[in-house]
Amino acid sequence: MGQVLVFGLISGGIYGLFALGVVMVFRGTGVLSFAQGEIGTAALYVAAYLINDQGLPWVVGALGALVFGIGVGVLFELLVVRRMIGADPVSTAVATVGLLLLITTIEIQYAGSTLISVRGPISQHFAVFGVEVTGTQVLGVLLALALGFGLQSLLRRTDFGLGILAAAQDPTAVRLVGVPLSRVSATVWGAGAALSVIAALLVEPGIGVFAPGFASQLYLVGLAAAVIGGLTSLPGAVIGGLALGLVEAAANKWFGQSGVHGLRYVVVLIVLLVVLVGRQLLPELRARFDTRAEAVA
Amino acid sequence: MRRAPWILVALIAAIVLPPLIGRSALLSDTNALLLCRGCVMALAGLSLNLLMGYAGQVSLGQFAFVGVGAFTLAHVTGVTDLRLPWVVGMLASAALGAVVAFLVGLPALRLRGLYLAIVTIGVVYACSESLFIAQGIGGGSAGKVVPPPYVAADAISRNCDLLAVGLVLLVVMWHLDTNLTRSRLGRAFHAVKADERVAASFGIDVASYKLLAFVLSGAVAGLAGGFFGTTIGTVQAASFTYADSLGLVVIVVVGGLGSRPGVVGVAFGTTVLPSLLVTLFGSGIRGYDLIFNAAVLVYTITRNPTGIAGAIREARTKALERRGGEPPLPPTRPNLPSLGRPSALPAPRRAAAGQPVLAVRDIGVRFGGLRAVDGASITVDRGTIVGLMGPNGAGKTTLFNAITGALRPDSGTVTFLGEDVSHLPTHLRAARGMGRTFQLIGLAKDQSVYENLLIAQHLAAPYSVGSALSGLGASRALEREIRSRADQTIEGLGFERFASTPVGKLSHGQQRIVEIGCCLVTSPELVMLDEPSAGMSPAASEDLALTLQDVRDKLGRTVLLIEHNVPLVLGVADELYVMAAGEVIANGEPLDVVTRPEVVTAYLGSSYEEALK
Repeated sequence: MGQVLVFGLISGGIYGLFALGVVMVFRGTGVLSFAQGEIGTAALYVAAYLINDQGLPWVVGALGALVFGIGVGVLFELLVVRRMIGADPVSTAVATVGLLLLITTIEIQYAGSTLISVRGPISQHFAVFGVEVTGTQVLGVLLALALGFGLQSLLRRTDFGLGILAAAQDPTAVRLVGVPLSRVSATVWGAGAALSVIAALLVEPGIGVFAPGFASQLYLVGLAAAVIGGLTSLPGAVIGGLALGLVEAAANKWFGQSGVHGLRYVVVLIVLLVVLVGRQLLPELRARFDTRAEAVA
Repeated sequence: MRRAPWILVALIAAIVLPPLIGRSALLSDTNALLLCRGCVMALAGLSLNLLMGYAGQVSLGQFAFVGVGAFTLAHVTGVTDLRLPWVVGMLASAALGAVVAFLVGLPALRLRGLYLAIVTIGVVYACSESLFIAQGIGGGSAGKVVPPPYVAADAISRNCDLLAVGLVLLVVMWHLDTNLTRSRLGRAFHAVKADERVAASFGIDVASYKLLAFVLSGAVAGLAGGFFGTTIGTVQAASFTYADSLGLVVIVVVGGLGSRPGVVGVAFGTTVLPSLLVTLFGSGIRGYDLIFNAAVLVYTITRNPTGIAGAIREARTKALERRGGEPPLPPTRPNLPSLGRPSALPAPRRAAAGQPVLAVRDIGVRFGGLRAVDGASITVDRGTIVGLMGPNGAGKTTLFNAITGALRPDSGTVTFLGEDVSHLPTHLRAARGMGRTFQLIGLAKDQSVYENLLIAQHLAAPYSVGSALSGLGASRALEREIRSRADQTIEGLGFERFASTPVGKLSHGQQRIVEIGCCLVTSPELVMLDEPSAGMSPAASEDLALTLQDVRDKLGRTVLLIEHNVPLVLGVADELYVMAAGEVIANGEPLDVVTRPEVVTAYLGSSYEEALK
């Protein structure tokens, strides 16, 4: 049980961080990005270059990766998202698919399938419920929780932050308050990329090695987590991530030995379908129940 | 008929291609295999194009269906499995692809756009990471072996021969796809993609057509998978991933959503490009083509979301416009053709003498705490024009939606031609003769005027899926009939020069006239118009009044009309209802009703009344 809890929270925290990025971009621009996760992988290559090849300290490498990731996110916003304002959201989503392919193919060209690893910021070990965890992993969970529950109130303090939260829902109101939408858009794409880079930097040491497409796989679970959390709620994103992490860990414990491959994806698909379709059906069922209750009364 | 040549081409291809390709010295074995891969991508591209380009359902996991097809073929024809003939295996591939796509389509009835896209990603991951790796299904890490197809006792194993098989498959699918787009199926898909509520108002069963799009798409993808398995001999889970599915999205979007030649062309182009580049620039170039593809996708979708095909189409229209100059404006006073009831539609129920066409009783609609419509009752008698007025937010359009079934009211009944239709969905009410227009123009805006008139006649051409795909049987006569009705309507409306213009490029007033034409083309018993004069010039509104009288007097239809334009309503309406805050506050003779104090108050507020005192 303790094992499920610890493993679930550790991977769930990472999903949560990715999911936060999804929600930020969605609230700020109304776009669902499929590319954001892979920006994390690309940034890992930058970190690996700075830390492993140049022998720089971890902090410098991480900062370099962060700056690089934010740069890619903002550049994409400037070159593509901004030109597609008013386009149907599916078209913009397909444009992010293009970015995903672009990043992945460049990674493959750069690194091939060589497996590379980057060390984490904290390598100390702890025993939690009899499970060995590293400080980096604990940091991931704490960061996800802090951002998930603190970011919203932090953003609410300034007009600009409020603009980020409301931009997709009511762009006119945001503009009337004097917050430039273009800056909101650039900021959330930068922030979304930053969250992916942070998540990638924190999860990679625990897994050991990475290759092109590494962060994208985890990001997709984060995408599902964001959808489960309602797609617009920051705490919901983290809760969705932790929930998926826990269900996955539990499934691994009970079915892991049965030789079923890719359990993570099956679990995510099932949870996603249940939540999405359930959410659609719930109001209908409630309405049916209400009318019946009225009829009885 | 324009269709016959295609069947011929398919037959000729089937007979001529195999020996031709087989003997061609130009085509090395490697190149033939490459082109086989091109066929697979073209077939898979057509399947995604059907789903995304026609029906507007986004799939980012199309290779799940392709994989299902490939593994099905392996199981059905495999030496250690069922050992059935190749043709049976291919049919099974298509069938199972269709079944799996149907299952994926079920949640699509509830989810739209991006949510559906995320679910399809989940499906392709669950397939490639779990299902296809399972020992019993995908043969574990070794994969499954697909034996070559046999003709008599000879195995077709040379790549050149396989390519011929692939090309024949592609030609047949192209032909079926062409028939699809020219039939009621293709039009229904377009309508669903454009606007589901509008589609339902033309009698299209949106849920069934969405599922049908998934089923057909899954079948084509299954065939693509079957052929893929045939060409490579061993199928493994790694060939059917999320990344492959995204590659297919690139092909379909860059080629142009909805464009057959674009999709097939780009499918072959992107498959052949890598080795072409290697031949031209040496092996150092390997891999850059993928980067190039991705960059092209980003560029295309940013600059021109309609893809290469769209860009070509646009250039062609521009050239035509330059040559022909601006076409003359069509008249705002159309001469409505008096079309009979379409032959395929059952004769409308004759309401008993004295019975109203439409009787709405105590309709109540609640949005959360707001009572949008509160116990509204309306009666519409045959051969009359009934006006429905009221200030903004009075609940007129909500009442309209409750009458047509676009939303379920919380209480009340709708009786149409003496039949209680309260529990029928929109498309079945439309089938009983209830036509409507929308406040914001209910047409498929990216389609031409002519196509819209055909979409509107969905109910008048009720032939089967098989007849639609083959272009044989009932569809021929019915298509001829509805096309002639469309031609007559276009002539009557004076839109000959605009027949092939996309509706979205017309002015608002012109769109409105086309919309009314579409509503009348199946000659429905009741015509419900939602603010037809909105955005029209005063002169055009006067013409509209005459048109409405034509609908009543010449065509003998019954009209229910929401209108803000008071002179228009007073000029044409035989009876007037006024709504305010969700309730019907007055009804009767139009001129009498508008002078009643409660009506004046509803429009001008109570202070006006006090001022009068």
